[in-house]
Amino acid sequence: MQSTRNPQDDLYRDAIDAYGAALSRLARAWEADLDARQDLLQEMHFALWRSFATFDGRCSLRTWIYRVAHNAATSHVMRSRRGKSRTLVSIEEIEESREMGSLAAKSDTNQSIEQTQILDRLYAMIHRLNPLDRQVILLYLEGVDAASIGEVTGLSSGYVATKIHRIKAILIERFHNGGNHDQP
Amino acid sequence: MTSHNSPNELLNVWQSQKVGAIAMSVDELRRASNKLARRVFWRNTREAMAAAIGVAAYGYYFYEFRTPLLRLGSGLTVVGVLLTMFNLHRKGSAASMGKEMDSRSCLDFHRSELVRQRDLLASVWEWYLLPFVPGMSLFMVGLIQLTLSQPGAASRHGSIALGFAVVCGLMAAAFLIVWKLNKWEAGNLQKRIDELDAMKG
Repeated sequence: MQSTRNPQDDLYRDAIDAYGAALSRLARAWEADLDARQDLLQEMHFALWRSFATFDGRCSLRTWIYRVAHNAATSHVMRSRRGKSRTLVSIEEIEESREMGSLAAKSDTNQSIEQTQILDRLYAMIHRLNPLDRQVILLYLEGVDAASIGEVTGLSSGYVATKIHRIKAILIERFHNGGNHDQP
Repeated sequence: MTSHNSPNELLNVWQSQKVGAIAMSVDELRRASNKLARRVFWRNTREAMAAAIGVAAYGYYFYEFRTPLLRLGSGLTVVGVLLTMFNLHRKGSAASMGKEMDSRSCLDFHRSELVRQRDLLASVWEWYLLPFVPGMSLFMVGLIQLTLSQPGAASRHGSIALGFAVVCGLMAAAFLIVWKLNKWEAGNLQKRIDELDAMKG
């Protein structure tokens, strides 16, 4: 028997086809703990599926997906941070701190190890950021342009532009090959 | 060796990383939806059971003590417990558990969550502490009255007064600490809300 197709289910499937990997990266960037990350990823998928019941097409599918996913992540982090004392910082504070060192790998490592090291340190940096700065850097890393980042986050275009400028500066300074200026 | 001389190359590393993408089937999602509904139900049940314990305890005092003040105090405390549980259910996180995940901009969503938490903490006196004050105050006065009416109490007025003063003082201090801590946390949340407002431009 042919089952009736549900627009909500179809939108969810399309969204996961196109953005499933991005959601997984996002979950890893929001949650360091593996089990909690799986929970968060399921929460994101669930939130997304439920949200499509009211999707009205007033914004692009991409904007909708990122909004719902980031809001689910913010909610998750606010819930799990109750009772924890770890302080989250801004991009500016990361930029000013000297503790991270260069994130470039040594030249005798192979490409795969090098990339893993870079990603590990990138995730470590992202985990320290406050929610909004984390959203900006994650959307930037996903290749979302500044105007769309403003649309997803609700931040002013000037604010997003300043943040992206600082993010690029951090990435160049700390991920630049052979750039050891931060190391003691 | 791979060079990462521009942010764009790092973007490639980021976007090409191997991640275990999951896809939940629609049946799994529907099951998750039912599970969420069950969690909300059990959470509400737990809140109702906690209220039932308070109601049962002060209901017992109402039955056991025969003086008007103790009965009135017990009755009002029962009302206070019910009112606080109603407020918890209406304002607390249980109410938001089943809420649809919002598709507003991240800033608006984040701000509204902070405002909700700030309002909850800032008004803790009204919805969490105040409902207990009339009943517990009358109950304490009733207890003092009952103790003083016991045989031999006349010779121990001083120690009885001191004992009740200590108990009442500790209770008042506990209320004050809860109120001040919540006020302080509400102030911290307000600072974060102000920062978000500044970002909006």
